[in-house]
Amino acid sequence: MCPALLENEERCFGGMTFFAQSHPVEVCGSNGLPLTPNSITIYGKSQFLKTIYHPNLSTYLDIIRSKHERIVVVAEYNGDPLNSKKNVNTDDILKIAFQCLLGLQYMNKLGLVHRHLSPENILFNKSGNVQLYNFGLYFMTDCGKNVSFPIGYPKYTAPEVFLSSGVSSPKVDSWSLGMIIAELLLTKSIWSGVKLSQCLRKVLSLIHCETSVFERLAREINCYNIYKDLPDKVKEFVDCCLQIHPLKRKIPEELLKLSIFEKFLLQNEKEIEKNLYRNIIVRKMDELYYLWQLAGGDITVELKKQGLIRSRPPILSIPNLVILLGQMFGRRDTAGLFDLRVVKIPLDTLHQRLSHIPYIANYPWLTDQMRVQSQEELIDAASQLPLIIRERDTEYQFYRIVLYDRLLQVYPITREAIIEEAHKDIPPPVRGAVWAALLGITGDIQKYYDMIDKETPTHTDRQIEVDIPRCHQYSELLSSGAGHERLQRLLKAWVRNNPHYVYWQGLDSLTAPFLYLNFNNEDVFPLHKILHLWDKLLLGDSSFPLLVGLAILKQLRDSLLTSGFNECILLFSDLPEIDIELCVKDSMMMYQNTPPSITYRKHQFNQPKDVNWLEPEPGTEKMPRICVDDFLDLLDNSPDRLIAVDIRNNIQFERGAVVGSINIPFTSVQLSLTHIETLGPHAKPLVENKNSIVVIIGPHDQNNALFADFLIKCGVVGVCSLQGGISALRIKSPNIIVIPR
Amino acid sequence: MNMPEDEFVEKTFVYKFPTCTTNQEYVLEVPLKIPYGGNVKELMYRIMSSFKLPCYVESDLLQSLEHAIKTLTLEFYDEKAEKTLEDAISGNLDIEDIIKNWEKTYKQKTAEYADPIGTTDEELFAAAYHKLVHSPSLEPILQAEHKFGRDVTEVIQMRDSHYEQLTQKQTEEMRVAVESLEAGSTEKSINEMAGRHFEEQSLLQGHWGSRVDALKLDQRRQYRNWIMRLLEEQQTNMLPTPVGSPILSMPPIRPALDNFVHSEEKNTAEYPILEESFTIHLGSQMKQMHNIRILTGDVLDFCRIKKSDSGMDPTPQRLQTALGLYSNDLCGLVLLSDNHLGSYSGITKELCSICQLTTEFHFPPIDEQLEKIREDVKDAVAWRQAHHREVNDSQTKRSTGSKSLQTGDVYITRHSNLAQVHVIFHMVVNDSLRSGDINSRHPVILGLRNILKTACCNDVTTLTIPILLVHEMSEDMTVAWCTKRAELVFKCVKGFMIEMASWGGAELKNLQFLVPKGMSEEVFGTLATMLPSIFRVSNPLVFKATSTPQTPKK
Repeated sequence: MCPALLENEERCFGGMTFFAQSHPVEVCGSNGLPLTPNSITIYGKSQFLKTIYHPNLSTYLDIIRSKHERIVVVAEYNGDPLNSKKNVNTDDILKIAFQCLLGLQYMNKLGLVHRHLSPENILFNKSGNVQLYNFGLYFMTDCGKNVSFPIGYPKYTAPEVFLSSGVSSPKVDSWSLGMIIAELLLTKSIWSGVKLSQCLRKVLSLIHCETSVFERLAREINCYNIYKDLPDKVKEFVDCCLQIHPLKRKIPEELLKLSIFEKFLLQNEKEIEKNLYRNIIVRKMDELYYLWQLAGGDITVELKKQGLIRSRPPILSIPNLVILLGQMFGRRDTAGLFDLRVVKIPLDTLHQRLSHIPYIANYPWLTDQMRVQSQEELIDAASQLPLIIRERDTEYQFYRIVLYDRLLQVYPITREAIIEEAHKDIPPPVRGAVWAALLGITGDIQKYYDMIDKETPTHTDRQIEVDIPRCHQYSELLSSGAGHERLQRLLKAWVRNNPHYVYWQGLDSLTAPFLYLNFNNEDVFPLHKILHLWDKLLLGDSSFPLLVGLAILKQLRDSLLTSGFNECILLFSDLPEIDIELCVKDSMMMYQNTPPSITYRKHQFNQPKDVNWLEPEPGTEKMPRICVDDFLDLLDNSPDRLIAVDIRNNIQFERGAVVGSINIPFTSVQLSLTHIETLGPHAKPLVENKNSIVVIIGPHDQNNALFADFLIKCGVVGVCSLQGGISALRIKSPNIIVIPR
Repeated sequence: MNMPEDEFVEKTFVYKFPTCTTNQEYVLEVPLKIPYGGNVKELMYRIMSSFKLPCYVESDLLQSLEHAIKTLTLEFYDEKAEKTLEDAISGNLDIEDIIKNWEKTYKQKTAEYADPIGTTDEELFAAAYHKLVHSPSLEPILQAEHKFGRDVTEVIQMRDSHYEQLTQKQTEEMRVAVESLEAGSTEKSINEMAGRHFEEQSLLQGHWGSRVDALKLDQRRQYRNWIMRLLEEQQTNMLPTPVGSPILSMPPIRPALDNFVHSEEKNTAEYPILEESFTIHLGSQMKQMHNIRILTGDVLDFCRIKKSDSGMDPTPQRLQTALGLYSNDLCGLVLLSDNHLGSYSGITKELCSICQLTTEFHFPPIDEQLEKIREDVKDAVAWRQAHHREVNDSQTKRSTGSKSLQTGDVYITRHSNLAQVHVIFHMVVNDSLRSGDINSRHPVILGLRNILKTACCNDVTTLTIPILLVHEMSEDMTVAWCTKRAELVFKCVKGFMIEMASWGGAELKNLQFLVPKGMSEEVFGTLATMLPSIFRVSNPLVFKATSTPQTPKK
């Protein structure tokens, strides 16, 4: 019996919360629009953090913005904070230092500074590995500008941070690490029980220290004996960190080059190599977080339970007086303090929910042809349910995610399988990647994207600038500063890359969902609705959008028909509730029922069908036309869905016609009498017709169009005419033309 | 965002690469902003394309560019840090000052260093009450409140009738005295009598005043103790039914009550109440649903507790108000008042007397609240004067130096003993509202925006606004005037509500527009039809049986 899923899961979620600084009353941005709330700015900036995966950094999982500028941050929480550890030997201390430096080095590479390094934010797990927690706080708050509280523990903060406002360099982290390691080495807390002001004074008094800061600290807390016995190399390392002058202090990258870490580097490399081939599948934390939420996990509730979100009744904090300029007086406000506590949330709920799934389910099999091996019955049963329910079923989503994960790993050879699966549904977490797969994106896209010049001004800039603040602004992501910036870059890239197209106003809306999903890869509906639509859209070919439009029109048909043109425009701008799933379903059905050539669009390239395309004669544009290939295809595969109506005269018909076709000579039809009964008994199939495609075969397009019009007026559906008439058929496939009895 | 000047420096990146054919070197100079915010790779490609560099320098260029940016950035930070450090060591910086500032921010903004704030009594009581009203105790609590309230009201009614009797007696006495001015009574004696009357009046006032106050104080103490006890008991033994009412012994006033008639039978049904409701959606792409109601009535009817038929049971409105008091769905009311902030005249006086009919168990009594606001006004005036030097607006200049509130200022009182509201926004208005032409920049409209914003930030989700910005109908309010004013308010409020979405607070769920009572049905009809055209009424999606798609065959 293989172990259950998540049996030995040590990882937890860590939740913390803080308030963004609210803007002073009534300030406008330079463009005249109101300032974006800081919480949205933070939300936008922090999206980048979610893409950072490093063994020594706690992965950011979610950033939630809630009422009254509150931000909730969810991240992986693996292990216990360092300050709960006692009596660590020198070797382990060095290992901790080494892993911290690895994390810091990676952060610096990405342009991040921790600034908040402290024993609380260094997590130490059972296997002795270290993760830096909360590393993005300084970054997501735009170097602390968007919050009112100071970032950093006074004791561990480098002196220059206190001396000047402004952005901190990576070197402040070296100092903090030095302090932490010094404390560990001396096995005694520095300045414990000292008041805040004194602590600040002590940090700042260090700037006058001419000799080794480490030595001075050791003497100060009566640990000189321990200090004396430390190996020189260790002292050297701490001294490198605790340099008063930033000029002499080393950055994490340089610290790693100290000889003391040589053996760790070697060991680390070996381990990486070893792990590379160790075939264990560990589900990613963000997937688990997604599933945990589906299983009923709610971070806000957890935070409330721990008292981190204190709900003070609003009536107790309403102000006494608001003067005209918006300034408030007599406000009874006590909330808004920055509370550092982190709530550790184990995965229990999810574990229970998935406990009956064997560990082996993590690894779905693929066949030789890179197709999905048989799907479990469970999924088949679940897949009958509506999409909205499927998206909330923990177990179903688990299987789907695992499957897609597997498929995407070996993309592009699995493209076929992905398309097949995407027809069923796409679980939200992998949507971005699946869309990319559906669009057939391969190769070094990042490089290509980098090569596109997105900064040089062009003439469309203005329009883009105007459009962006108006695009999907209700979405927190897209209304944040970072969102605007990304969208602008994306649009500019598009303009650059497609010089033969003109930027049009809807493009921003078009790109928005793509950006929303691939926010960090930089890749007129409410967004959440449009996503499902796009799922299907990408599967179909170019004519599919036409049908989607049609499906929307179909839903609105009743109200549209009763109103005039102007009202219609208003109605669309007002966009009533449209049932998107129905819309998707409708358009899917129509797509399946309609021969491709009918919806063929002229201004489309790379189409295999354009070989047979003929310009329509004037006056016949309204009539849909089917090409010969599609006609033959229908005749072969589903003759019951086809009614061929031959409108040539009797003599021509007698000479040879399509099997099973009915002859209604055009000349015999009285176009003004729009009753199908006037056509006589052999028009009976037309009357009974429900779902079939009626193909008019006739030599003259003009006549065909008139007859099609007549049929439609009689209430016959699915009417189209055969391109090129009987002669085209004769050329293509002479054997289907027979002499009727 | 404007960066301060020292936040970045311009540096030049120099790149050299050899030519293939000669010994010469190409030299490239690119200005760089340090710290560099963009993507280095993209910069590299841009340099490549704008200088038309050969592709073989690509990796080399990237490497040196990355290196240059890294070292330059570090240099930049180091320089800055070194400079301040130098200043600090040499004593140019006031270290003590810096320490104080940091200490202040740490103490004010972080929970770790802030002075521990326990839960205040206010919060404790709030939590207790909120929990109890959402338990089986709700019924007895409401009953107790109601009974307490009735007792106070009775005393007040007794007071009023005594006043009336005294005034009647005094008027009569005075009349007799004046009539007999020639016969016996002198001017002096009349003056004396007037003085005596005044003394009698104030004596009576003092007597009743202290009696009412004592009663209220006693009730409040009893009530609050009872609530806390109730919670305790409920928590300890999980009693399904709560303990009895707190009313122990009351001064025997009931027999005395039968003596006087209820003169307070105010007829509110003089005019028929007109009312219409809509559901609207706001927002261009993401729609937010709101309920909008337009109705006629007296603004204070939202405050007055109507007597139920028997007089023994609390009204259902009270239940709603009690449930919502400490919730995140508060009810607010906009009351237009003058800038006197006083309880001596006008609508504020009327409101005060309504509030004082029963004991306020949760918040300070209204006169205390007003007193506190008067203190705050002093701060506000000082703030305003300090900010006037910067703002040179002709409109604000006019009022500079004013010691009181101005048109558009809003003060807020909180109540637990009114019929349908928790929060009253008193907006200061002046006579300019009577005139026809006010526009969207009128201070009252701005005040309305502040009210909506405050409502949004403090979870007031039901708000009643006097649509015409007046409480009483008058002669000069023509039909045209009414529709014009209503249109302005509708449109402005709609704009503020759209804006509200970005304020990050609670969305307004129910918005009520109050039309002064006595408005004709036709005008009301005009205003009511205006509403759905200005606020777009939500477009219901109508399904026709025919438009349901057939499920595709499998």
